Amino acid sequence: MSRLPIKCPSCEQHLNVSQLSCLKCDTIISGSYPLPKLMQLPQDDQDFILQFVLHSGSLKKMALQMEISYPTMRNKLDDIIEKLLHN
Amino acid sequence: MKTILFNPFKKYQENTLLGIGVAATIIGSLLAYAFYIRFNGAFDLHFAPDINLWQPFIDNSINIAIVFLVLFFLAKYHNQKTRAIDILNAVLIARIPFYLVALMNINNTISRAIEQMMSVVDNTIQINMTAIPIDAIIILSIFGLITFLAFIWFIVLLYNGYKIASNAKGGKTMLFFALALILAEIITKAIIIIVPY
Repeated sequence: MSRLPIKCPSCEQHLNVSQLSCLKCDTIISGSYPLPKLMQLPQDDQDFILQFVLHSGSLKKMALQMEISYPTMRNKLDDIIEKLLHN
Repeated sequence: MKTILFNPFKKYQENTLLGIGVAATIIGSLLAYAFYIRFNGAFDLHFAPDINLWQPFIDNSINIAIVFLVLFFLAKYHNQKTRAIDILNAVLIARIPFYLVALMNINNTISRAIEQMMSVVDNTIQINMTAIPIDAIIILSIFGLITFLAFIWFIVLLYNGYKIASNAKGGKTMLFFALALILAEIITKAIIIIVPY
């Protein structure tokens, strides 16, 4: 599956959504919509957040299941929080 | 394999690391007693002809406590979320290379090589290199190299453990870490020299 680009390959600025289309009736909506903050994160960070939610927000459970230490998990979350705050 | 040797803190849970760290400290202290080693400083290792069973245990306790306290305060200053257990595990696990070095003195191999060397060097202004047995030079060279590698391994383990525990990043991290280790070495050395045991 192709990945959603979040930054302009030319100038590194965040991209906006300029067109949305309905796959059923081919209706096309044009405009300029900023991506939600979570979607502006890299794919692996989005995957992490998805797993975090699916584990009911328990880093401990996530760490055990993914066989990664708790502080490594917490650092990853802290880094994502930092990115969200500065985006 | 690389993760297990140099950064086990990334993968293993705190209870596993604590168990391994405590077991390694006990075994390491017993090895030090068996092979006449004193850990008289945060990253020191010396041979001692007269040694009591409790001395390596006290040496290790002082070294672990001081390095833990210094790194924990530094980590807390950097990141309030730092947990004590993660710093303690880093300190306990990082000392394993030192315990492995103690194994090299089986049958007093290193102590005897040092004695042979010192008997030629002592009270002599001009050292007659040919009087030093070649096997003593080879043994001490290998020991020096392995000790150096063990020291590097210790630093890498401790630094990786500290970085994961505190989520410290940036160029200044290494500088503050190095300064903290120097401070820990000074404090441990002073305690071990001043307190008789």
